[in-house]
Amino acid sequence: MTGLEYGAIGFAALLLLLALRIPIGISMLIVGMVGYVAISGVPALLNHLKTEMYWRFTTFDLSVVPMFVLMGQFAAKAGLSHALFRAANVWLGHHRGGIAMAAVGGCAGFGAISGSSLATAATMGQVALPELRRYNYAGSLATGALAAGGTLGILIPPSVVLIIYAIIVEANIATLFQAAFIPGILAALGYMATIAIVVRINPEAGPAGPRATGQEKWQALLDIWPVLVIFLLVMGGIYIGIFTPTEGAGVGVTGTFLIAITRGGMRWEGFVDALLGAATTTALIFLILLGAAMFNAFLGFSQLPFFAAEFFKNSGFSPMVVLLAMVVLFIMLGFVMDSLSMILLTVPIFWPIIALLDFGLQPEDLKLWFGIITLIVVEVGLITPPVGLNVFVINSMAKDVPMIETFKGVLPFLMSDALRVALIILFPVITLILPRLLVIE
Amino acid sequence: MSEPGNNDARPTDPVGRVLLTVTRLFALAGGLVLCAMALLTTVSVTGRRFFNAPVTGDFELIAIGTGVCVFAFLPYCHFKRENVLVDFFMSGAPDWAKSFFDAVGNLAYTLIIALMVWRMALGGIDLYHADEMTMVLEFTRWWTFPAAILCLVLLFVVCAYSFVRSVEEVRRA
Repeated sequence: MTGLEYGAIGFAALLLLLALRIPIGISMLIVGMVGYVAISGVPALLNHLKTEMYWRFTTFDLSVVPMFVLMGQFAAKAGLSHALFRAANVWLGHHRGGIAMAAVGGCAGFGAISGSSLATAATMGQVALPELRRYNYAGSLATGALAAGGTLGILIPPSVVLIIYAIIVEANIATLFQAAFIPGILAALGYMATIAIVVRINPEAGPAGPRATGQEKWQALLDIWPVLVIFLLVMGGIYIGIFTPTEGAGVGVTGTFLIAITRGGMRWEGFVDALLGAATTTALIFLILLGAAMFNAFLGFSQLPFFAAEFFKNSGFSPMVVLLAMVVLFIMLGFVMDSLSMILLTVPIFWPIIALLDFGLQPEDLKLWFGIITLIVVEVGLITPPVGLNVFVINSMAKDVPMIETFKGVLPFLMSDALRVALIILFPVITLILPRLLVIE
Repeated sequence: MSEPGNNDARPTDPVGRVLLTVTRLFALAGGLVLCAMALLTTVSVTGRRFFNAPVTGDFELIAIGTGVCVFAFLPYCHFKRENVLVDFFMSGAPDWAKSFFDAVGNLAYTLIIALMVWRMALGGIDLYHADEMTMVLEFTRWWTFPAAILCLVLLFVVCAYSFVRSVEEVRRA
C-alpha cells in the first residue's frame, strides 16, 4: 500500500470511530498509533512515545491555553455579567428589540475577557434571560439572540480556538488576535442589526423597555470599569505588543482573580470550582491536542496533506471555489463536531492547500485571513441544529421555550453570519487592517 | 459533542468515591500550579516593564508548569466523562450500544495509557542518563517525570475503572 492509501484508510477509520462515540482525542490516538506502526513500524512508535507526551505538554507555546481558560473561569465568577448587561441595557433597552440587543452587547463585552462561547452564553443567559422574559420578548428571539451572542465569546479575542489555529499554521497569536478584532465587532453589530430587522417584521417579538435617565446611563458605564481595565490591560497590551499572549493571559488571571474576590464574592468553594472547571477544559483540550499530534504525525508520513495540496494546485479549480468548498465542509462538520476538533482535524490538511493557491495575498496575510474565515464558520456549528451546544445551553435555561423555537430564533442570526463571512471573504482588508496598523515587532 | 449536565452524579461505589477524591486533589494541585504560573508571569512582566528586572528563565518555568498541570488534570477530566465526543450518530442507538462503545473507548484508552506509562518511564530514564537540562535555568529535565508518570498511573486506574463501569452498564442495559 502507498502512504496515500494508508492516509485515506486512516481518515475513514477515524470518522468511523468518531461516529461510534469514541471520544475524539482517543479516536485520534488510536488511528494515529496504528497508522504510525503501519508505515514506520513498532520500534519507531515505541521510540516516539518515550517523550511524546512530555514534549507535547511541556511547551511554552501552549501555556497560554490553560491560562486563558482559567481567566475565563475567574471572569465568570467576577459578577461582571450583570453589570455588562445593565450597561448595555440602559443605553439600548428603550428601543424596540433593545433588551435583546443589550444581551448581545453584554455578550460582546464578556467575550472581550473570555475565550469560551459556552461560558459567555451561560453567564449572559442567566442575567439577560429573566429580563427578556419579563418584558415579554418572544421565546425564539430571546433564546436565539443569546445563543448567537454567546459565539462572540470566541469570535472576539481572546479565543482558545484561534490560539490552536495559530499553533497549527505557525502564525503569531498576537497578530491573529488583532485580525479577529474588527470581524468580532462586526459580528456583534450584525447580530444587533438582525434583532432590529426581526422586530421590524414582528414588533410583538421584542417590545421596548423603559427609558433610563442620563445619570443611570453614566453610572451603569462606570460599573463596568473592571471589564474595561482587564480588556485594555490584557488585550490592549497584547495588541500593541507590550505583552506576549502568555504574559497577557497571566496578568489577566491575576486581574480577574482579584475582581472575582472583591466584587464577585468568590470564596474558597468558588475558587475550587473555578480550578476544577479550568482543569476539565484544559484536560479535554490537551487530550485532543495529543491525539491530533499523533494523527498528524501519521498523516505527515502518509504524505496525504502534500498530495492533496499538489492535487488542488494542479487541478485548475479557481482558488475561490476551493475555499468555498472548505467553508461548506466546515459547516457540514459543524453539524456534528465541536469547533476545536474540527480545526485540529481539518486545518493540517486545508492550510497546505490554501497556502499553495493564489488569492493575491502575502503568505502571512493569507494565514490571518483564512484563520478568521475558519474561526467564524467553525463557530457557526455552535448554533446550527442538530447539536448546537450554545442552543442547548440557553434552551435548558428557558424551560418554557421549545427547542424548535430556539432553533427558529437562531435562523436570522445565521443569515447575519453568512453575510459576514461573505464580506470577509470579499474584502480581506477587514481582517488585515488592524495587524497592518498595529505592527508587533 | 459532549453532553454537559449529566456528569455530576457522585459515584456510589467505594472505589469510585476514592477515585473522585484523589483525581479531584490532583486537579486542584494542578490548578494551584497554574495559578502560580499566572502569578509568576505577572511578577515577571511587572518587573520587566517597570523595574527592568524580569524573573530569569520564567518561560522555562511556565513550560514545565504547563506540562505538570496538564498531566495532573487528565485523570479528573476522564473520571468525570468530560472528554469531547460526537454524540450525533449514536443519539438514537439503544443504551447497551452506547455503553458498549464506551467500553471499547475506555479499553483502548487504558491500553494506550499503559503503553505511555511504560514508554515515559524509559524516556525519563533516558533523560536522567543524558542529564538533560533547560537552557537558562539549567532545570534538570527528568525531575518532572516521576510526577507526570504518577499522574499517568492514576489516569490508568481511572481508565480501567471506567472500563469496568461501562461493561457493567452494558450488562445492565
